Amino acid sequence: MDKIKIRQICFLLIGMMPITKLLMYPAILPYYTQNDVLLSAAINFILQGVVIGFVLWLSKRTNCTFLQLLQNTFGNIAASIIYALFILFLLLSSFSIISEQKVFVIHTLYENIPSYANFLPFFIVSFLACSKSIKTIGRAADLCMPIFVFAFLAIIGLSLFNINLSSILPIGGAKSGIFKGSLMSSVWYTDCLYPLFFLGNFKYEKKSFLKVGISYGIGAICVMLFLAIFYSLYGDLSLLRQNSMAHIAKFTTAFTSIGRIDFVFIFALTLVHIFYSIVPLHLAVTGIIDIFPKWNKLLVSGIVNLIMLVLVWFSNYDYAAIQHFYNGYFWIFAAIFAYILPISAIFLKKGRRATNEKVLDV
Amino acid sequence: MILCECTQDKSMKQESQKTLGKKLKVNLQSILEILTAEDILTYQFYTKDNVLCTAIYIDQITDKELLGSLIAKPLSLINAPTTLQDAMKELYFPENSFEEDITTICNKILAGNVALLIDNLQGAIILGAKKVSSRSIAEPPTSMTIKGPREGFIEDIKVNMGLVRKRLKTVQLQFDMIQCGKQSQTSIAVVYLNGIANKKIVQQVKDKIASYEIDEVVDSSYIGKFLTARPLSLFKQVGTTEKPDIFCAKILEGRIGLIVDGSPIVLTVPYLITEDFQGPQDYFASPYRATVSRSIRLFSMLISLLLPAYYVAAQLFKLQLIPFGLLMTISASTKNIPLSPSIELFFLLVILEILLEASILMPKQVSLALSVIGALVLGDTAVKAGIVSTPAIIIVAISGISAYTVPELVGTSSIIRLALLVLAGSLGTYGILLGIAVIFYTLITMESFGTPLLAPFAPLIKRDLKDSLFKADLFDLKERPAVFKSKNKRRLLQKKGVEDGQN
Repeated sequence: MDKIKIRQICFLLIGMMPITKLLMYPAILPYYTQNDVLLSAAINFILQGVVIGFVLWLSKRTNCTFLQLLQNTFGNIAASIIYALFILFLLLSSFSIISEQKVFVIHTLYENIPSYANFLPFFIVSFLACSKSIKTIGRAADLCMPIFVFAFLAIIGLSLFNINLSSILPIGGAKSGIFKGSLMSSVWYTDCLYPLFFLGNFKYEKKSFLKVGISYGIGAICVMLFLAIFYSLYGDLSLLRQNSMAHIAKFTTAFTSIGRIDFVFIFALTLVHIFYSIVPLHLAVTGIIDIFPKWNKLLVSGIVNLIMLVLVWFSNYDYAAIQHFYNGYFWIFAAIFAYILPISAIFLKKGRRATNEKVLDV
Repeated sequence: MILCECTQDKSMKQESQKTLGKKLKVNLQSILEILTAEDILTYQFYTKDNVLCTAIYIDQITDKELLGSLIAKPLSLINAPTTLQDAMKELYFPENSFEEDITTICNKILAGNVALLIDNLQGAIILGAKKVSSRSIAEPPTSMTIKGPREGFIEDIKVNMGLVRKRLKTVQLQFDMIQCGKQSQTSIAVVYLNGIANKKIVQQVKDKIASYEIDEVVDSSYIGKFLTARPLSLFKQVGTTEKPDIFCAKILEGRIGLIVDGSPIVLTVPYLITEDFQGPQDYFASPYRATVSRSIRLFSMLISLLLPAYYVAAQLFKLQLIPFGLLMTISASTKNIPLSPSIELFFLLVILEILLEASILMPKQVSLALSVIGALVLGDTAVKAGIVSTPAIIIVAISGISAYTVPELVGTSSIIRLALLVLAGSLGTYGILLGIAVIFYTLITMESFGTPLLAPFAPLIKRDLKDSLFKADLFDLKERPAVFKSKNKRRLLQKKGVEDGQN
């Protein structure tokens, strides 16, 4: 069976998880929370952390995959239906991430090519990646971790010259806006579902809880640091600075003789974003193959990516409408599929634990 | 010795049941019916009591002086021996054996040995009188060093095996001989260390080679192709070296080596991509220097792959990437150029490839003139004529030179460079990033005999990072690379209580 190491999950949380929260999220969040961006983000991170904690607790007690746990409890057909709903949720959440990336590519990387033409190759890459084993996600996390750390520190370092952190004070002024901000941000906090799909593909090791906890904490701190700096740079104008990653260091670099050197790091972060955007699609394809083991993975990967491509094309110039839907209603789906049901998974029948299986050093 | 089924000629198989009798003329006829080529020679002489002896050998690859002085002369001075064993006592040959099977005898003759037939004695004596004519051992042109050993492998398998044995004087060193090539019968030595190499991989290597039936193995690269899991992949999956010291170091790490007769390039598996970033003298220089060298190689490789693509993307899509002063200079240089940046760079890269190809294939005397034509006529004149811009030539030159810091990957990098350039010209920076993502996905899913190609980075193997891009001190490399899962892990042990001798 394919395996992912705990280390790779940690790297995923440090080096990939924050990346989706560095594009639109820092720009949209202050619309609800004003200067209380940190409190709102903290609520989301705590909720997500709880889910990840429960999934880890579950992994300590069983070697079964999530689908096997569902099958043990509800039988094959019902389990497949529930699992399929989770897969749909994964695709739904990935649609937002991919749309964000598309907007980022159009607005930040270049302007003079039709968007449907320039985003098609993403799905070709995704098609190739999704047809590989789940081991690929772990190895991609191994690669992305140093790239992210280096690029993120560089971009933060470049942005520190112009900030005024006092602008995020006084804390707690926004009151109800904080919770509203948390609710509408749920689309950016579905990463907690991924460990549930990794279940059965990794072995709980000694101190895994601590390692994953610290990694998740570091990932969360990265995002919150970015939010604080971004808000302190733009304040209430943040909403006008979508694709935040491209704007955070521009003041420092634009006035230097070396030009927009921050673009080098933005490109590195975009590369990580490409890898992370593929993760939910990859998990969805793997999930479909889990339900229908006889189906051809290459074909399933092709179909899933084709559907996503059609959706992205269909909503080519409607990002605002998409964002409106996700900010307004997605929290209902997120609450069920990313939070309540994953936590409820601890009540599923654990089944027999495989004893003689060795973990591959992947 | 294992003789692959693939190497057995069908016509030989039909004869395999035949054995030699006592009548020399009949025996000789039987052998010459199979060995019909004109370079198969026979030498007839008589013993003191007039019994006919015949030596069968191949012109050019058998040492005729040895044949005369150590075979014909001693036998002509004595009466005919009554058994082959008695005959052997008169012949002072270190390599000798008795054979009765005609097929085996023919194979031995074809390998350069002498088959001696004596009338009224059943069977033949096979005498190792092969004449080795090979070039001398020299420093390989592909991996020159300032410090460290300068020996290089040559085309003779026996000499190459000797070079390895000279360095690894241990009973654990094994040379498993196999043959491949239906017509060429090329000898291949599978080299490994007992207790260090993974025996399963050794068997897999042998099985994989045996599973192919080919007429001739011209070079070790043929065997390299047999050993690759994805033959159509752009990336190499088998390690190569021309230096015995590097080969032995790899064997000591737990890899399996293959020496192919007729090729100075030996193979090693499993292969890791980091191997190609390790220079031949990294282990003889200080770890700081080695680390800097490896970092420069990686940086150069990135420059080689990405610089032309980013130049095009920056010009076409993202002018902000270029500092304003530089942008002005580039703008001034390119304003009258009729070609678009991507076409211009593509054209120059193709010219570079043509020049490289021509300079490799042309005689040395001509290649000097070619350099002048390439540099002055094509480069300078093209700029003056306004066909290409100066910055584009600089970009291509830097990219071309940078690729040669990792010579093993030049072929791969030149193709990727062109592909990334096309992506940059059509999709801009995002195209380059997607190209990089495809390369990463390809590399992280590739394995060489169960070992991930991108180890120790993906998957991350902390212990092996000490000898990857970062080169630790010799004393920190106490254990063999973990990625090969060798049972014998330790390779350096410092005995306690021994003073270092320095005050």
